[in-house]
Amino acid sequence: MKQRPWLFLLPALLLVSISAFIPLMTVMNYSQLTLLPGTQPYFSGLENFVAILQDPAFQGALGRQFLFSFLVLITEIPLGLGLALCMPKDGPGVGVSLVLLGIPLLIPWNVVGIIWRVFTRSDIGVLPEVFEWVGVTYNVSQFTGDAWWTVLAMDIWHWTPLVVLICYAGLQAIPEEYYMAAKIDRASPWKTFRYVTLPNLRGVLIIAVLLRLMDSFKIYAEPFVLTGGGPGNATTFLSTYTSRMAIGGFQMGRGAATSLIYFFIVILLSFVIYIIMLNLGQGAGEES
Amino acid sequence: MAEIEVRDIRHVYDQGTPDETVAIERINLTLEDGTANALLGPSGCGKTTLLQIISGLLQPTEGQILIDGEDVTDKPPEERDIAQVFQFPVIYDSMDVYGNLAFPLRNGGVSENEIETRVQKIADLLELNDILHSSPSNLGPELNQLVALGRGIIRADTSAILFDEPMTDVEPARKLTIRRRVKEAQQEFGITALYVTHDQHEALTFAEQVAIMKDGNLVQYDTGKNLYQSPVNTFIGHFIGSPGMNLLDCTLTQHNGTPRAQLGPHQVPLASALEPHLDLTWTDCQIGIRPNSVTVQVADPHDESSYLPAVVDQVEMLGGFQIITATLTETSVEVKARVAHDFAIEEGASVWLSFPASDLQFFHEEQAVTA
Repeated sequence: MKQRPWLFLLPALLLVSISAFIPLMTVMNYSQLTLLPGTQPYFSGLENFVAILQDPAFQGALGRQFLFSFLVLITEIPLGLGLALCMPKDGPGVGVSLVLLGIPLLIPWNVVGIIWRVFTRSDIGVLPEVFEWVGVTYNVSQFTGDAWWTVLAMDIWHWTPLVVLICYAGLQAIPEEYYMAAKIDRASPWKTFRYVTLPNLRGVLIIAVLLRLMDSFKIYAEPFVLTGGGPGNATTFLSTYTSRMAIGGFQMGRGAATSLIYFFIVILLSFVIYIIMLNLGQGAGEES
Repeated sequence: MAEIEVRDIRHVYDQGTPDETVAIERINLTLEDGTANALLGPSGCGKTTLLQIISGLLQPTEGQILIDGEDVTDKPPEERDIAQVFQFPVIYDSMDVYGNLAFPLRNGGVSENEIETRVQKIADLLELNDILHSSPSNLGPELNQLVALGRGIIRADTSAILFDEPMTDVEPARKLTIRRRVKEAQQEFGITALYVTHDQHEALTFAEQVAIMKDGNLVQYDTGKNLYQSPVNTFIGHFIGSPGMNLLDCTLTQHNGTPRAQLGPHQVPLASALEPHLDLTWTDCQIGIRPNSVTVQVADPHDESSYLPAVVDQVEMLGGFQIITATLTETSVEVKARVAHDFAIEEGASVWLSFPASDLQFFHEEQAVTA
C-alpha cells in the first residue's frame, strides 16, 4: 500500500490540474499557434511572442503597468504601515477601526469601479463639481492625468486597508519586551521603529508587498469601468491589453502569448522583490 | 552603583474594574549597593510585577522606589540607569553583536572610540570576542541572552541590573556556564543585581541574599544559609530545600520541665531554650526538620525518649543519596529522611527515627517560634 498517499492526494491533484495545469498548458499550446476565427489554426512557433514584444501598444501598456505598480507600492505600503501604527492597541477602538477598514475590502472590484464612475462622471458626479468650485477642471474621460490619479486613488482607497490589516496583525505579534528593552536602552522613537518595529515586521511586509505587487499587476475592472482604458490608451494596463488582444481582437494565439509573458514578468518580479526584502537590513556589518 | 529601596510598594492591576487583582500587597525591601540578590517565589506571586516597578516599566499603585535615597517613582525607565534582562533574549537582530552592545551607548551619544573600548571590555568579560561581528539570529538563545546582558551592563552609569527569569530559554546543560559568566560580570562591575526566578537552585547559587515572595507579600529576605536553617514560617521551610522541610502536626506537652512535641502516642523533645516562648494550650502547631537532619536506625536502639518507630513506605535513589519516606507507627505522620547512597534499606522495613532538638524548628500558626 505504498501508493496510498497518492490516493489521498488525487482529489487535490485533479482539482489543481483542472483549474490551473490544464488551462496553463492550453495557453502554452495556443501561444504558438496562429488562431484566427474562421481559419485553420497553424503552428507559428515564437512568432506571436516576437510580434507582441515589438508591438508599441504592448510596450506602452507594460510601461504604464510598471509605473502604476510602483506608485501603488510606494504609497500603499508606507501609508498602510503608518495607519497600522496609529491604530489603537486595545479597547473598543480596535473593533471600530477593523470594521471601517473592512468596508472597502468587502466591495467587489466592479462595484468599486461603478461607485467611482458615478462619483467622477462629468454630468452628475460629485468630484468634478467639487473641483469646479475650487476652479479646477476635472474630467477623467478627457485628461490623462485625471484618469491616472483617479485609478490610483481608487486602488489606494480599495487596497490600503489590506496592508493596514496585515501590518496591524504583525505589530500585535511583536512581544512587548522588545519595546521595554528599547526604552531601557534609551532608544529614540525613530530608533525604536528602525530597530524594533521594522525588523520584526519584515515577514509581514514581504507578504504585503508581494500581495499588492501581484494584485496591482492584475488591475482590470477599475480602469475598465471608469474610462475603458482611456482616454486614448492612458489607463490601458497589461490585463486590459491582454483581454483586448484575445477577446476584442479575436487573436487567441497572441492573447495566449501575452498571458505567458505577463505571467513570467509577475513571477520574476515577485521573486526578485522577495529576495531583496529577505536580505534587507539582515545581520552583520551594520551602520551606526 | 546604587542602593535600591522598595518602600511600601503596593500594586493592583485593573483597579476599579471587575478584573481587579492585587499583585503586590505591600512590600518593603532594601537591596544594598553592589550586592547580588534574588527574588524567589512560585509562579504568579508578583515577582515580575515588582521587578517592572523597580525598573520603571510599571507605575506602582502606591509606594516609592528610591535609588541611592533619591525618589525615582515618577521617572521613566530610561532615566533610572537600571538595566533589565528579560525572560527570552531580546536582541535587535538587524544589527550584529557589536551593534547590539553599542546600541545603548550610541543612544546616549558616547563617542565611537569610547564605544569600542567599552564593547571590547564587555566582550572580554562575557567571552563574546569570536562572535562580535556575527548576526545574532545565527546564535543560540544562550549567547543571545549573554548579548542582552552585555547590553545591560555596558553603560558606565548602569547602577543596577534586573534579571527576569533569564534562563528560561537556556538548555539545562548550558545554564551553569551562563550563570558563571553572569555572576562574574556582576562582581567585576560591582553592580547591584536582582535576579527573579522560581528555581531555588538558581537563586541560591547566584545571590548572597534571597527575597522570597508569596501571594504578593515578601516572606523573608535573608542569606541562603538562614533561609535553610531558620525559615520564618512553614512556607519557606517547605519551599527551600529539595525535598523541603518535614512539617509534622503536633500538640505541646511537658515532661520534667522540658517542652515536648506530641505526635500521636510519640513524644519529641524540644530545645529547652524554647520553653519560655511556648504555650501548652496552642493547637495549630508543627515541628519542622530537614530530611538530612533526621537520624535513621535500622536496629531498635531501645531508646524511646529520643527514637520514634516508623515503617518505610518508599525509598528513592537520587544518585549520591537516598530519600526515605516513612510513616510513624500508630499515626499517619509521614517523614522524609536523607541517607547515604549505600545505606541498606528496603520498603516495608521497620526503622527508628530521631529528630535532634538542635535541628528542630517549631511553628505555631505557621510562624516560626524561636528562642
